[in-house]
Amino acid sequence: MKLGDWLDERTGYRAIVRKLVEATVPGGARFAYAWGAALGFVLVLVAVTGVLMMTVYSPSATTAWASVSYLQQKVPGGWVVRGLHQFGAQAAIVLGVIHVGYAIVRGAYRKPREVTYWLSLALVGVIVVAALTGNPLRWDQRGFWGLRVETGIIGTVPVVGGVLQQLLLGGGTPGHMTLSRLYTLHTVVLPLLLGGIAAKHVWLSRKHGPALAKPADAVKSDRYFPTQAARDVIVALGALGVIVALTWMKHGAPLDAPADPTSDYPARPEWYFLALYEMRKPFPGKLELIATVVIPGLVAGYLFVLPLLDKKADRGVMKRLPLLVPVGLFGLAAGVLTFASMRTDAADAAFGKAVAKAEAQGAKSLVLAAEGVPPEGALAMLRNHPETRRVALFEQHCASCHRMGDLGPPQGKDTAPDLTGFGTKAWAKRVMEEPDHDTLFGKTPFKGEMPSMTKPPADPEAAAAFTAMKPEDLEAITDFLAAQAQGKKGEGMPGEKLVSQRCTSCHRLDGKTDDEDTLGPELRGWASVPWILAQIDDPGSGAAYPKGAMDPKLEGHMPAFKEKLSEKDRRLLAAFVQEQAGK
Amino acid sequence: MQNDLGVEPPRADRPDEPSRVDGGRRGALKVLCALGGAAYAGAIVVPAVKMLAPSSEGGAGAARWMRVCRLADLTEGEPRRVVVVGDERDAYTVTRDQLLGSIWLTKKGEGVTALSAVCPHLGCSIDLNADKKSFFCPCHTSRFSLAGAAEAGPSPRDMDPLTVRVVEGNVEVDFKLFRQGIAERKEVG
Repeated sequence: MKLGDWLDERTGYRAIVRKLVEATVPGGARFAYAWGAALGFVLVLVAVTGVLMMTVYSPSATTAWASVSYLQQKVPGGWVVRGLHQFGAQAAIVLGVIHVGYAIVRGAYRKPREVTYWLSLALVGVIVVAALTGNPLRWDQRGFWGLRVETGIIGTVPVVGGVLQQLLLGGGTPGHMTLSRLYTLHTVVLPLLLGGIAAKHVWLSRKHGPALAKPADAVKSDRYFPTQAARDVIVALGALGVIVALTWMKHGAPLDAPADPTSDYPARPEWYFLALYEMRKPFPGKLELIATVVIPGLVAGYLFVLPLLDKKADRGVMKRLPLLVPVGLFGLAAGVLTFASMRTDAADAAFGKAVAKAEAQGAKSLVLAAEGVPPEGALAMLRNHPETRRVALFEQHCASCHRMGDLGPPQGKDTAPDLTGFGTKAWAKRVMEEPDHDTLFGKTPFKGEMPSMTKPPADPEAAAAFTAMKPEDLEAITDFLAAQAQGKKGEGMPGEKLVSQRCTSCHRLDGKTDDEDTLGPELRGWASVPWILAQIDDPGSGAAYPKGAMDPKLEGHMPAFKEKLSEKDRRLLAAFVQEQAGK
Repeated sequence: MQNDLGVEPPRADRPDEPSRVDGGRRGALKVLCALGGAAYAGAIVVPAVKMLAPSSEGGAGAARWMRVCRLADLTEGEPRRVVVVGDERDAYTVTRDQLLGSIWLTKKGEGVTALSAVCPHLGCSIDLNADKKSFFCPCHTSRFSLAGAAEAGPSPRDMDPLTVRVVEGNVEVDFKLFRQGIAERKEVG
């Protein structure tokens, strides 16, 4: 006995296959029927790629982004799977809308297909909710801020909003629990629901057959396989082509920088929600519920009751026009609003700048993540990276007094030397020419300690005895100082000798000075990394400024940071400031 | 019915009527089914509701004083954005020294006022307008006065004020987060 016979005797599979093969399409096969089948193909694609991603993804606030960036960058073919999943989901929304739209135009919602039609509406609804729960799983900026706004909208719904919002977030604010819950919804609850609805919808569609345009069509009939099946496959392949092309062009799906609740991010919804986003703009304050709940509710309600309103004997499109016009208007309004929203943003230069900044941050994060993400998570990785951290450190500990490039206190509020270009020849020259300028030592307790080398002092008697430094000497000294900032010893440079002759009455060179009570700093190694580090550690160590510089009488002098910052952070800052010397 | 295997003995024909069960016993069995079903459903639903229901209120109410900057860093009458750094507890992890959020501080004489930078509308990050005369939210264009009063746009309430104190020249703020999108100011844990 053959295996096929053996199996058929126990399962009866041949009868099932025969039923499938011999299934007919009353009225004949049509491309118009293929949209639903294509949606089925796409949903299978999305389900399979989704399960594949589950083998890599890790749902927690510290691991989610890292695992997605790993999938995107390191797992072979990972970016393809991400792209197919995301663009597949978007294609499913489009195909679902086309499928329902065709049913409405065709009058396929009429008796006895009301439930079939309602199930298709529910199908589109669940697909959209699946997309909403899927996007934040990346835990990147776009996904996170989208979630913040969407759950915020849910929270505004009267009575149930607050509870619903907390149920989704798993607490008051988005975090680990939010991801666990969204993940459970997205990978278990919604797919089960979607599968159940889709199965029932297909079963009912087969039971009632297609809604025929004219009763006369009923005399025609095609086999489902392969006549209609071929049409289904062709449309499904078209959809796949678009999905693959988008995946290829976008190199998978987008991944922004890790979610940062403290950042400012130009949050915008996905394209399929831009219409709702735009519609909200004219409704201020409490009226906003009209745009977020009332209007979408009315549209959904109208689509739902459509079969109950349409009782006429004639199903011709022209006869049903009054019922169809509102549906057409919904579609038109959605299109116009989406276009308006895109145009507003395209014309907004500030928004464009913010988007570019966010994209740069995203690209930087991916580069960092390629070397591995620490257990504290991707956000900590980004913040602790020297390039980000040193800026934050400078802002927190230095920028209330010192200016350096773009960083620093508000204009005119700086009370310590401007560090922009610190260690360059130009900076050294300025100090020698006008040390008491407001952006140098003019607002510090050291004002008046150092005389200008080129301008006579205010005191007439001293002015009479003053001779300006020769330009060539100034040149030689600043050359020597700039070399020090670059970390060179500069021994034998002409400026070295001049410094030892002309500056050491107040300054130190290799620790030697004519007057130990003066406050001039050490000039050997001036503005080099060790010199700056010594100054940050303790501005009275003698390695940069002498002990007297920390005298409490000099109110407003620089504080020591040795006890306040870790050595790593102090080194980071010293190197950051020394970089100015190269400018 | 064909049965080549011939293992299974032939069955008697099915009776047309199900076997009779007397009325009283039938009723008792119905009640048993209903009660058993309800017990099963309860065993699933009760813990499910208990587990999923929001329970985050525990964190709200307690004061969380955070040192944010020096009083000397602020300019009279000009709002300044400062970040709030503290321990971040998220369900099962606690991370030291995290950026918890940012706030807007304004010095007025010896006092300081603090406003949460979280937009009361839908939680975007509120920014200072370029002319420094008002705040705005980049997401949905809400505008607020420097005192935090909602002036235009969809925000349902004024910016959320936070309690501030100055300790030895340092500004400390009682950092809190509030529910978004509603007119009422309600703290979240």
